[in-house]
Amino acid sequence: MASDPDDATGSAAVDRWTALDRGWQALALGLGVVAAHLVGQAL
Amino acid sequence: MTGTAEAVRTHLPGLGLLVGGAVAATLVAGAVPGLQPLVVAVAIGVGVGNTVGVPEVAEPGVGVDKLFLETGIVLLGAAVAVEEFLTAGPTVLALVVGVVGGGLLFAEVAARGLFRIGSPTSSLLAAGASICGVSAVVAIGRVLDARGADITFAAATILLFDAVTLVAFPLAGEWLGLTGRQFGVWAGVSMFSTGPVAAAGFAYSPEAGQWATVTKLARNSLLGGVAVAYSLAYAARSAADPGVRRLWAEFPKFLLGFLVVAVVANTGLLSPAALASIGRVSDALFALAFVGLGLSIRIDDMRAVGAAPVGAVLVHLLAVSAVALAAVRWLL
Repeated sequence: MASDPDDATGSAAVDRWTALDRGWQALALGLGVVAAHLVGQAL
Repeated sequence: MTGTAEAVRTHLPGLGLLVGGAVAATLVAGAVPGLQPLVVAVAIGVGVGNTVGVPEVAEPGVGVDKLFLETGIVLLGAAVAVEEFLTAGPTVLALVVGVVGGGLLFAEVAARGLFRIGSPTSSLLAAGASICGVSAVVAIGRVLDARGADITFAAATILLFDAVTLVAFPLAGEWLGLTGRQFGVWAGVSMFSTGPVAAAGFAYSPEAGQWATVTKLARNSLLGGVAVAYSLAYAARSAADPGVRRLWAEFPKFLLGFLVVAVVANTGLLSPAALASIGRVSDALFALAFVGLGLSIRIDDMRAVGAAPVGAVLVHLLAVSAVALAAVRWLL
């Protein structure tokens, strides 16, 4: 997405996230939600 | 940390608008029996977008709607009964490949032969109508090194049909008395962009929504192959390299997440309560995405679309949806 150095926000995490393809972002968020549920039910 | 705070601040107004629309849609649908919240979410978006419009300050946040849609689809994997889809899978896959391949050729012939539309606009329209709507127009436009004006023109035509089919398909499905599975597969192979396909499916029934989304994902996964085919066909003017790199570049990565979640959910690792909770998160993300989808439908922009591309895409849509309807009634 925003890989232009001019778009840098000053936060490495935000810059790395915005540079990701939207499909990867969705995959990461979705798997994160499922992982949170797996952890939640294991506790 | 200031970068993170700034990013949140930039997106907050638009996210607030999406959340406000989604909450309003849930309340309205809860008060009116038979009304689907996701349909109301699209309607609210269209209403707001075409009356007061989206304030400039809200645009970055509203632009996150497609991420919500794709994340909602990843989580929809948890609601999918893999066994049921595997049973119908080969039939649906064969239908998808046949409709995309036949549809592409038909759209090219109709656009060039009947409506005298030159390339690359004919190819942009064919890709948009046959694979995955506006994202296919943009991807194939990049492969063919098309002018920005050609891409905008083709994308506006596809968006016009997205808006019309979003309303027309569920009505036609009711009139034809299709089952949820038949309607989902029919909408999944015939309609254009992913958001409207999912919205039309869920407007029909939850089962239809799942089938529509899964069928559409199968269709989207062909984008890489079609991009390679176009770059080979237009080899002399192609600005892009064909091959595995392009196949992978155009492959919708969130589809992998959908498959992983479907496998995890079907192995029994998640409790029924966890599956229900994931379903609620998916529904909420769809509601946010569909408010954004409605906000992106601009009636004024659609008036500017020319008669020839509308005619070409209409002929394609009628032919493909008629063939697909006969096929789903016969096969499913």
